[in-house]
Amino acid sequence: MLLTAENAAAGIVLVSLCAYTIFGGADFGGGVWTLLATGPRAHAQREALFRAMGPVWETNHIWLIVAVVALFTVFPTAFAALFVALLIPLTLALFGIVLRGAAFAFRHYGEKSAARLPATTEVFAVASIVTPLALGACVGAVAAGGIRVADDGTVLSGYDAWHDPFAVLCAFIALAICALLTAAYMTVRTEGELREDFRLRAIIAALVLGALTTVALLLGHARGSFFARRLDSPMPILLVAGAVCCGIATLAILWLRRYRLAPPAAAATACAVLLAWGAAQYPYLLPPDLTIVRAAAPHETVVAFVAAMLIGAVVLIPSLWLLYSVLARARADLPGPDIPAA
Amino acid sequence: MGTLPSARALMGASLGFHIIYAAIGVGMPLMLCVAEGLALLTGREVYRDLARRWSKVVAVLLAIGAVSGTVLSFELGLLWPTFMRFAGGIIGMPFSLEGFAFFIEAIFVALYLYGWNVLSPRAHWLTSIPVVLGSAASAVCVISANAWMNTPAGFRVVDGQPVDVHVWKAFFNPAMPIEALHGTLACYVATAMAAAGIYAWALLRGDAARRQYNRAGLTLALGVAAVALPLQLVAGDISARFVANYEPAKLAAMEGLFTTTRGAPEVIGGWPDPASGKVIGGIAIPKLLSFLAYDDVNATVRGLNSFPAGTTPDPRMVHPVFDIMVGSGFLMLAALILFGVIAWRKRRVGGATASRFALLATLVAAPFGFIALESGWLTTEFGRQPWVVHGFLKTSEAVTPRGGIDVIFLLLMLVYLALTTGLLWLLLAPWQGPRWLPRAWREVGHAAHG
Repeated sequence: MLLTAENAAAGIVLVSLCAYTIFGGADFGGGVWTLLATGPRAHAQREALFRAMGPVWETNHIWLIVAVVALFTVFPTAFAALFVALLIPLTLALFGIVLRGAAFAFRHYGEKSAARLPATTEVFAVASIVTPLALGACVGAVAAGGIRVADDGTVLSGYDAWHDPFAVLCAFIALAICALLTAAYMTVRTEGELREDFRLRAIIAALVLGALTTVALLLGHARGSFFARRLDSPMPILLVAGAVCCGIATLAILWLRRYRLAPPAAAATACAVLLAWGAAQYPYLLPPDLTIVRAAAPHETVVAFVAAMLIGAVVLIPSLWLLYSVLARARADLPGPDIPAA
Repeated sequence: MGTLPSARALMGASLGFHIIYAAIGVGMPLMLCVAEGLALLTGREVYRDLARRWSKVVAVLLAIGAVSGTVLSFELGLLWPTFMRFAGGIIGMPFSLEGFAFFIEAIFVALYLYGWNVLSPRAHWLTSIPVVLGSAASAVCVISANAWMNTPAGFRVVDGQPVDVHVWKAFFNPAMPIEALHGTLACYVATAMAAAGIYAWALLRGDAARRQYNRAGLTLALGVAAVALPLQLVAGDISARFVANYEPAKLAAMEGLFTTTRGAPEVIGGWPDPASGKVIGGIAIPKLLSFLAYDDVNATVRGLNSFPAGTTPDPRMVHPVFDIMVGSGFLMLAALILFGVIAWRKRRVGGATASRFALLATLVAAPFGFIALESGWLTTEFGRQPWVVHGFLKTSEAVTPRGGIDVIFLLLMLVYLALTTGLLWLLLAPWQGPRWLPRAWREVGHAAHG
């Protein structure tokens, strides 16, 4: 039975992770390219990245909270196990998120009142890199089956559940995804030579992502990991193939300078990678011990949660649409966001 | 430090900070909505100026609140995995709804900030309403989860696992309505009083060019406080009666009542001494506690000795913070009444904003909204100990099995220190910095930037 409330809830977790990746991930990528800004236009690159992130970064961030809350509401056992087993990488991610968000906010609002805090750019850039690395390692540790849970819910893994070559690869895959997303998004927000800079960066990131994912698949097979074995079933194969196609399409689009198509293609690539991971894990939430059903909260909770999410989406989607349409008009009118100068 | 004290200190410190950000995030949108509404109604530009400046505060705090909220959602797992495994499926619903409310709030804050020149004045004002409602709904949801920890409902326990979960019964648990009302009003009182204090200070410093602006800010802030504070005192009274009936151990700790007493006195101040079973010092008003709790001067109030050993909170933690909360409320009320009397004697509100005495009283009372908010939260948290879910799960059983929490605690405190320093630095920015800050602060900021 595929269409159960539990599966729907797991789908919501995966979808919010996808949303966090394609919206929030691009913000992390902004930090990557801020740090790696090079060449004669390094300053212009940083400024363009900074401006592009301004309006929406707070809303982007909430997708992670949605994923975390969904996880502890619907899969409390898995939530508890994740945070016990992955204490260290999740703490690193937490510090990264706090420092990144604060540094960006301070820089953003400081800019408007002409009060620059020292080192905000550097803190922002480094924290933007640490966070996707740590979160990617967590995903890798889960996929590699590193989190062992006893029947009574006790976590058997030690602090080192993420010390796994596969998890390390996943950390860098996450970083490459963020870098690709940002560079691809920036090609439609810049012009001229600056656009060429971001085109080149997007192509490099796409190639690195392709190489890393290929190595990850080979490594998984070589080690005979649980995850790799599951990848052999039809649905995951289909989604992996889809991810490969999206990636190649992204490269082609960038090569041909069809910039309007670059952001959706890059976002589709990122989502396809995540969906392939989800499909390969199904029906496990934390392989090899916790299935979606075993990790789930009481059925009434799951049903109520799924219903609340659907009703909430009805309110949320028009609001988001309104936001983006007003922002588009505001962008047309103004060079930058209008934070009233106090 | 051991894992349990570190985890409690970390969670407590994170919440202590978050409560301030969140309370301003709830209170400021209301004031901003009122200010822009008044601008539309009266056409006075000064109100629009206020709304513009306050919207900047909302934006900064929403960003910081989002970050510190993320910290809390992670800490629930990092520090209290056993609690979340037990309670996640029951109280996840208020958190999920809170996520939506916050999402709506963030979207409309963005619309508000970026819409000044794009939307019509009326449409722009309308975007502030979802911000007000969304922030209040966020507060209600989060407080609902806290209320559930005080008065758990909507489930049964079989073999240590919760079954028969009714998420809406858990959401609308017995303590939820009054706790949500009390907590949300506290945000309005705290923000309004703090803002009033800032304008009072600015007027005391005297800045002739901005006098009209500061007066408008002061009057508006005190207006919000004058509505919210009396309501809050009523809510506080209902809340105490509720605690008397549903959380008798908490009431006994709040009042420092060691032995069950008929016609119990209300003890104000003093230090509860468990060794002697008495409150040392303090003023006892005969029979007042019985009357306040049960409307009967001879009613029997349960003392801490009537509960099994090891299931009651430590009155030394609870009684002082409870008194600080109540005292802060009355202190603010006194300042408001004083301001009102002076305004009445001068026959107009503007008269009081010119009175140094009234301004000083407002300035003194200004921080007590936040002091009351923090001490009220400590009252309910310390008052629930040793339980995290009252009657079902002890705090010591809920904590993570992992070590190293003390290191995380120390590092995160350093980060919070840096955040607070950064925030102050920004707010003190001199050049185009927030002019609503008193000149002395701006001079300090100028020196710091020099």
